[in-house]
Amino acid sequence: METRLSRRDLLRLLSAAGLGAAFSRHAVADEVGIAPVAATVPENKLIPTPDGPRYPAQWIGGKVIQPERPLTVVNETDVLVVGGGPAGFAAVVASARAGAKTTLVERYGYFGGQWTGGLVLLVISSHARENGQLVKVLRGIGDELLERLTRIDGAVVNQAPGKFNPTSDPEATKFMMDEMIREAGVKVFLHCWVADVVMDGPVIRGVVFESKAGRQAILAKIVVDATGDGDVFAAAGAEHERRLHAIGLVHRVGNADRADRTRLAEAGVKSLGSVEPLSSVKWVNLRGPSTDCLDVGELTRLEMEHRRAIWNRVQQLRKKPGGEELFLLQTAPQLGVRMSRLLTGTHQLTYAEAREGKKFADTIAVGGAQNGQHRGWPIPYGVMLPKKLDNLLAAGRCVCVDEKLIEDSRLIASCLTTGHAAGAAAALAIQTGCRPREVEIARLQKLLLSQGAYLG
Amino acid sequence: MILASPTKPYHGARRRWRAALRWFVLVSAVALAWPLRSDSVTSVLLPALSPFVGICSALATRAVGVISLFALPVIALAAVFPRWFCHYACPAGLLQELLERFHPAVAPVSSRVPPVGKWLVAVALGGACIGNPLFLWLDPLALFNGFLTSWRGPLVAMNLVAGLGLPLLLLFNVFFPRVWCQRLCPLGASQELLAWPRQRLRRAAGGSNAVTRELQGPLVARRMFLGGCAGVAGVLALNLARGGTPSPLRPPGALGETQFTGVCLRCGNCAQACPARIIHPDFGASGVAGFLSPVLRFDSDYCHEDCYRCGQVCPSGALERLPLERKSLHLIGMATVNLDTCLLVNGRECTACIRACPYAALSVQSADGGFLNEPVVDRAKCNGCGACEAVCPVRPERSIRVSPHGSQ
Ligand SMILES: Cc1cc2nc3c(=O)[nH]c(=O)nc-3n(C[C@H](O)[C@H](O)[C@H](O)COP(=O)(O)OP(=O)(O)OC[C@H]3O[C@@H](n4cnc5c(N)ncnc54)[C@H](O)[C@@H]3O)c2cc1C
Ligand code: SF4
Repeated sequence: METRLSRRDLLRLLSAAGLGAAFSRHAVADEVGIAPVAATVPENKLIPTPDGPRYPAQWIGGKVIQPERPLTVVNETDVLVVGGGPAGFAAVVASARAGAKTTLVERYGYFGGQWTGGLVLLVISSHARENGQLVKVLRGIGDELLERLTRIDGAVVNQAPGKFNPTSDPEATKFMMDEMIREAGVKVFLHCWVADVVMDGPVIRGVVFESKAGRQAILAKIVVDATGDGDVFAAAGAEHERRLHAIGLVHRVGNADRADRTRLAEAGVKSLGSVEPLSSVKWVNLRGPSTDCLDVGELTRLEMEHRRAIWNRVQQLRKKPGGEELFLLQTAPQLGVRMSRLLTGTHQLTYAEAREGKKFADTIAVGGAQNGQHRGWPIPYGVMLPKKLDNLLAAGRCVCVDEKLIEDSRLIASCLTTGHAAGAAAALAIQTGCRPREVEIARLQKLLLSQGAYLG
Repeated sequence: MILASPTKPYHGARRRWRAALRWFVLVSAVALAWPLRSDSVTSVLLPALSPFVGICSALATRAVGVISLFALPVIALAAVFPRWFCHYACPAGLLQELLERFHPAVAPVSSRVPPVGKWLVAVALGGACIGNPLFLWLDPLALFNGFLTSWRGPLVAMNLVAGLGLPLLLLFNVFFPRVWCQRLCPLGASQELLAWPRQRLRRAAGGSNAVTRELQGPLVARRMFLGGCAGVAGVLALNLARGGTPSPLRPPGALGETQFTGVCLRCGNCAQACPARIIHPDFGASGVAGFLSPVLRFDSDYCHEDCYRCGQVCPSGALERLPLERKSLHLIGMATVNLDTCLLVNGRECTACIRACPYAALSVQSADGGFLNEPVVDRAKCNGCGACEAVCPVRPERSIRVSPHGSQ
């Protein structure tokens, strides 16, 4: 098994490097469901403009009116996951592996969300302490991803026995997520921004998304909201709360290994940033001001202000003795949004419950500790079930917790595990022909355990 | 048969009555120290009966609390019937006597031992005058109570320490029978001192020849004076030795450090009552004077904002019986952040201490456009409860620690 995987990994690596490109592009495209690019298509070839009726918005009586229009349904599926961050990634792999027809819609061109696109590279709270022992709570699909990264040189650090809180390389992570999603047989729509939902009374039937192809729909039996911001459950009218939180922008500094740390320290620079698998690069966190991430004016302002601050900061570093060779490698493609909407689920997991390590009959995952220093906190299924709406689940940083626990539940390890649980629950609901809230907990836990998850 | 002068043995009904009462007290003492309800505070009662504890702690704290009133009946009885408590009630004495049955052959040596107990009382009273009764922890009721309560909870160090006193006392009695009761015990000695005025008067009425050495006024006065001076000097020396070293972290409501180390009986009640298990015996932080006294450690838990049990079970008043509202106003210490190791300062997503603080005394302070962040302590709100220290993920030394007042 191991050698086979490594060989395949190697092949992918080669293909990523441009060798054997035609073959691999074909293979990936096939499974991801995008029309394969034939090597013979000449560039600049004229292709027909699609015709048919158009429905632009109308200026009527001083208001912009969206006319009624039918939408093309581009895909019908069992389980639809919106958002390809840590939670969405784990959800689709779990669901597809459990045998459900699974589709993933992601607004950007890659998977990983804040982890890769936000350049938040440190997977915090992977472990907890039980009876004085360090115990890995991040198991199952998220852990499998990190384990597979250990087989690629320079892809991950601190993913080893006795270590905790691994840091992974963003490109290696994106690549390995692609691989696992493709292997699981998930239908993927990248560059598609989910803008609305398709409702049938209190039941969600699918989503509406925007892309270069315009507004289209996907129908699904069960939808998992892994957008981080709860875009789907909000559109569906599920009860939820909104909170302000600090929004930052992560950046990476290059040539860290060429900096003279002693002289920099003398000049007052204690740290260049957080460790990465590549010794030449450091990622730098930014907390930023607390604001509403659903306000696009704020997002715009912060994106530009943060970038300017980062630019100035790195320029200052370069002026310091010992820091001359440092440079700004990149600012994160995604603004660092920590939280916005939180689902009002059938169970609000509280900070007090978590610290007490309270156990639940419907535990579907276990959260860890910052540095694996305290016991794990069981997470009940109810945090992802909306109070009233059916066929909808939430996963990742928008699950139902109180304002204190959000600081733990939004960490990557927790998002990977709640994502895994949501995907498995959705697949099981499909398999047993019931609504997600009716899923037999014992069977769900059995499925999760068979997929390697840790339930305490 | 203990302390009964050979001329006055107990006979018949009186003897049975006495035995019944002593067993009753022993069983009640066990029941009080070991109540069925775990939240019960009855363990406070037994040591509070002691006139030695009651008088010295009232003197040291310049206050007569509800608890010290429990000693009043015993004081009254002792004044009228010498050593009544020893004869009819003391559970530690009864235990010693029971053990003695196994060594009937050993000859008592007590007559050759000086009356250390009376000196102890004199020294303790002298020390108490300036706040530190020095030997309160030698009270047999405190030792007895400590032994019983030590079995109630998990084997934390404080319990073990509190539980050791009585076994040591009994062991001592095996080798030197009756020496403790007759010569060393400060509780016994204080009863004798209390009985002195009446006895002296009675003897005087019966003719001066009957006045034994021990009852002679000048001797008693001299001993009290010298002992008292020694106590004052001892306390002053201890204070001097301590110098400006800040007191360690004490349970809420603790007296000032000097008074506390003296008034505390080391009975273990507070450690036992604490649901958070943060009270530990001190092995040096508070110097010789504070040896084995309770100090707080916030390794895994903190002083809960809704709990005030330690103060309720303190038999000597070393911890004030604060109601909840006042307990949270009592400041234990002050939190300080180590900016070198704090994760938040180092760019990590940690706000553990800030979230844990029950008094909302911590917040994130950002500078440099959000690149520099640190937890800051609002000194006006910080209670020193240790919630922050208990949750800080940094090891081995936490990045946020509560330190005693006056040490920051
Ligand atoms: C600055 C910063 C620093 C952090 N540091 C750490 C750290 O050091 N360690 C740690 O463990 N965690 C850290 N976190 C938290 C953690 O990164 C995130 O909370 C976590 O990635 C959330 O995972 P998620 O899958 O729930 O959501 P996200 O990672 O936000 O993923 C959501 C995905 O959904 C997509 N999406 C959103 N809306 C739509 C839509 N309408 N249609 C289609 N797709 C959509 C997004 O593009 C994204 O890919 C940090 C967060 C921030 C912001
Ligand atoms: S808990 Fe410790 S590491 Fe975290 S912010 Fe507070 S002091 Fe810093």
